[in-house]
Amino acid sequence: MAVGKGANAGSTPTELLVSLGRNQSTKTLLKVIILALIAAAAVASRLFSVIRFESIIHEFDPWFNFRATKYLVANGFYQFWDWFDDRTWHPLGRVTGGTLYPGLMVTSGVIYHLLRFLTVPVDIRNICVLLAPAFSGLTAYAAYLLTNEMTTSSSAGLLAAAFMGITPGYISRSVAGSYDNEAIAIFLLVFTFFLWIKALKLGSVLWGALCALFYGYMVASWGGYAFITCLVPLHAFVLICMGRFSMRLYVAYTTWYALGTLASMQIPFVGFLPVRTSEHMPALGIFGFLQLVAFLEYVRSAVPSRQFQTFLYVGLGGIFGVGLLGLVGLTAGGYIAPWSGRFYSLWDTGYAKIHIPIIASVSEHQPTAWPAFFFDLNMLIWLFPAGVYMCFQKLEDEHVFIIVYALFGSYFAGVMVRLMLTLTPVVCVAAAIAASQLLDTYLQYNSPEVADDKEEESSDGAAKKASKQGALRSTSQPVVGIYNLLSKAFIAGAMTLFLLIFVQHCTWVTSNAYSSPSVVLASRMPDGSQHIIDDYREAYQWLRQNTKEDAKIMSWWDYGYQIGGMADRPTLVDNNTWNNTHIATVGKAMSSREEVAYPIMRQHEVDYVLVVFGGLLGYSGDDINKFLWMVRIAEGIWPDEVKERDFFTPRGEYKVDADASETMKNSLMYKMSYHNYASLFPPGQAQDRVRSARLPDQSPVLNSLEEAYTSENWIIRIYKVKDLDNFGRDHAAAASFERGHKKKKAIKKRGPRVLRVE
Amino acid sequence: MRWLPALVSLVALPLGSFAAKSSSSSSADRFQTFHTQAVSSSPIKLADASYKKLTSAPRDYSVAVLLTALDAKYGCQLCGMFQPEWDVLGKSWVKGDKSGDSRLILSTLDFTDGRDTFMSLGLQTAPVLLLFQPTTGPHAVPSPDPIRYDFANGVPNAEVVRDWLARHLPDRPHPLIYRPVNYVRWVVSTVSFLGVLGVIFKLWPYLLPILQNRNVWAGLSLVGILLFTSGHMFNQIRKVPYVAGDGRGGISYFAGGFQSQYGLETQIIAFICKLPTESP
Repeated sequence: MAVGKGANAGSTPTELLVSLGRNQSTKTLLKVIILALIAAAAVASRLFSVIRFESIIHEFDPWFNFRATKYLVANGFYQFWDWFDDRTWHPLGRVTGGTLYPGLMVTSGVIYHLLRFLTVPVDIRNICVLLAPAFSGLTAYAAYLLTNEMTTSSSAGLLAAAFMGITPGYISRSVAGSYDNEAIAIFLLVFTFFLWIKALKLGSVLWGALCALFYGYMVASWGGYAFITCLVPLHAFVLICMGRFSMRLYVAYTTWYALGTLASMQIPFVGFLPVRTSEHMPALGIFGFLQLVAFLEYVRSAVPSRQFQTFLYVGLGGIFGVGLLGLVGLTAGGYIAPWSGRFYSLWDTGYAKIHIPIIASVSEHQPTAWPAFFFDLNMLIWLFPAGVYMCFQKLEDEHVFIIVYALFGSYFAGVMVRLMLTLTPVVCVAAAIAASQLLDTYLQYNSPEVADDKEEESSDGAAKKASKQGALRSTSQPVVGIYNLLSKAFIAGAMTLFLLIFVQHCTWVTSNAYSSPSVVLASRMPDGSQHIIDDYREAYQWLRQNTKEDAKIMSWWDYGYQIGGMADRPTLVDNNTWNNTHIATVGKAMSSREEVAYPIMRQHEVDYVLVVFGGLLGYSGDDINKFLWMVRIAEGIWPDEVKERDFFTPRGEYKVDADASETMKNSLMYKMSYHNYASLFPPGQAQDRVRSARLPDQSPVLNSLEEAYTSENWIIRIYKVKDLDNFGRDHAAAASFERGHKKKKAIKKRGPRVLRVE
Repeated sequence: MRWLPALVSLVALPLGSFAAKSSSSSSADRFQTFHTQAVSSSPIKLADASYKKLTSAPRDYSVAVLLTALDAKYGCQLCGMFQPEWDVLGKSWVKGDKSGDSRLILSTLDFTDGRDTFMSLGLQTAPVLLLFQPTTGPHAVPSPDPIRYDFANGVPNAEVVRDWLARHLPDRPHPLIYRPVNYVRWVVSTVSFLGVLGVIFKLWPYLLPILQNRNVWAGLSLVGILLFTSGHMFNQIRKVPYVAGDGRGGISYFAGGFQSQYGLETQIIAFICKLPTESP
């Protein structure tokens, strides 16, 4: 800066400022400062939950990742790789080392050891909690790099970085404490795309290899890598169809595919999938197709005959068709696995609901209504199409990529709420292109010079040429600029206002919607002060302190990871959901009568059963509300024993009060949820605050289970499974005898004696 | 005129014996009668009387009855949608089990023919699929009540219903669903495919500029993006109504709640989002 000042001494302050901005080194310095500030803002906006609550791991899946990370840090990498976990999915166990994406845990492990090496004493938990915010700063930088490849305007990159840093669509999965695969995967996604564009532009093996390296890292981190695996070949295919085949494309793609596939096959969970499943076939197919195209291009350059060319094109199309048919044939023959259910349900949107209730039951897998787009992306969503339109104006190879990504990203985001995450980067990039174009046009201080006739003519000629070549209609007129200062000021002011509203919206959404750990609930007291509801940890702590080390806990799969992570007890099912039958078994036990459920629990050596009940507090995410999914999943395996219809009243309502169906009232879940609940209230006033139902005074009777623990607000209820009766009676008889025994003392009624004749 | 009564009695004799036989016929005979009927056209169309006869108590065979209301005036869409699947199931069951080893009769009772049966069963809705298990014989079940198929999950296809039947009729043959090949459709689609191919080939010089036109592609992809980001897929998957009344005679354009919307909303939002694209 000092240099800039010295060189321009003596001019007016405005000119000094302008010249400062023109200086290359000042620009670089400014960019670095701005990027650092954006990264700081990205990290800061994700810290709400740490400040409000504490440094804690959130939700469900992160608890497993945290547990795995602790295992990795404690036992080393090779132990982790071969980890067989016998404390989940009892009695089956889980080959955890071979069924997870290790990227996240390994990243935290490396950071942990690095900090230890630098003698920074830091807890592994804090690394896990803060990993996602730290990576969000890197994501912002990656978005900056990607956008810079798209446009020459440097402000676009900075805008994209700012958008990426604070947009709620990305924050939703990367607040402090949400230690999930997405935390690092989105950075890897954007950065891999940047490297791909770079490799394609330069046709460089180095960049292609780097791209493959980061692709491998991505595969190691998140199942969403299939998005890259499909998008890059699609981009290549579109380019070939547009007649833009070049040696750059050939070099970039083949390098990426060969190295990237090798890298991805190193992950045990992925293994040979890249050559055996349909999701990976586009990449392989385009790889082969590119070889053909390259060969034919070579032949074409050698043989100039026009007919021969036509023949070649037809031949190319024919081979492509035959290859496609061969793929279909191999799939039908069973050599290539067809689309996996999770993936297939993206295309055939009704599929999951009928065939895989376990996928349909997850709220993240629901289709997206439009308010969600506005909620997560706010003004970016209407800048986004404008940005895509601008890509059409230039339409270099890299702009084609943005267009393809935008189309597919928005389709997937429309089908599944969760995939909003993959759409967000392209929205940020496209919106930044549009916004920077707008600002660049309107923020020119100098009025454009009136063009000469001659110049106009020549530019007209150029424009006509361009329009003949099939350019966009809007580019047929030459760009001149804005003359009127008022309109400049108005547009600039409006844009500033929009940007401010955007920042305000992002902060509001982050602080209100996405910063709840969901392990700890917050509510407001009547006087406005915050009240923390900590039932989950209270109950898990109770389990940890009061039960045997290997006491098996049965609960619905949602809580499996938390029980494993916080209570450190073996569970029957957890959020991994790899075995549908096992989950259905638990669903059947929960939805059947005690007499049916007890043998199931005995067979699985269940010691305790845990249910989540929100009726007292009005906590709507409880087990009774999830109950129908348990029934549906169980019905999928035992259609004759569990029937969804039986859980509805004759009028088709789902009720929990006195009108509830008999099957409902006798189900284990209902009994466990409402056991002794009525005794909290004065007679006739027992009420379920979630379903706003008045409950009968008589609480359901449990015979084969006994209440072990109920948390402060009744959110978690834990029951101990009774042992077999000492006298060999069934539990109902034993329990009624117990009750009858007490009653016996009060009144002993006998009928009048009658003489027996016979 | 002495011969007339004799003639009448002669004619009446076999008829009477037949009538007597059919009224008190054994369940095996009944099955035989209905099975021969089924071989010619399955599922059998029933009326009140034949329904009673078919499902009367001592029987050593199973009966699946679809109680439906096909007439347009009842407005039962589900009935109309399920009927072709049911016919396919009936045909393929008989085709795969000509000798009647499974001892299952598939039949249909329409509301217009079987008003009394609907009344006696107390049915308010259609379609209803009942499965009557045998009461005597090797596969007899203790409860005489029919099993009811649950239509709650929309229209099932024939395979689903076949699996349901197969589950309830263990140890008996379960013919596979056989869908007849629709040759006409094959021919029509092949010819039209070739025709379209020919037209494309002929019009190629005119089509090429359209295919290579950047404006067309820009328009198409923008429309796609706008539709997807304004909840079009939500409408497709949830099959939401286009608009709904607000209860005061007007139109409610926006659905209340964060996770619901109407079809019209998508178009409004897509249109609003399109404005900035037009301006620069």
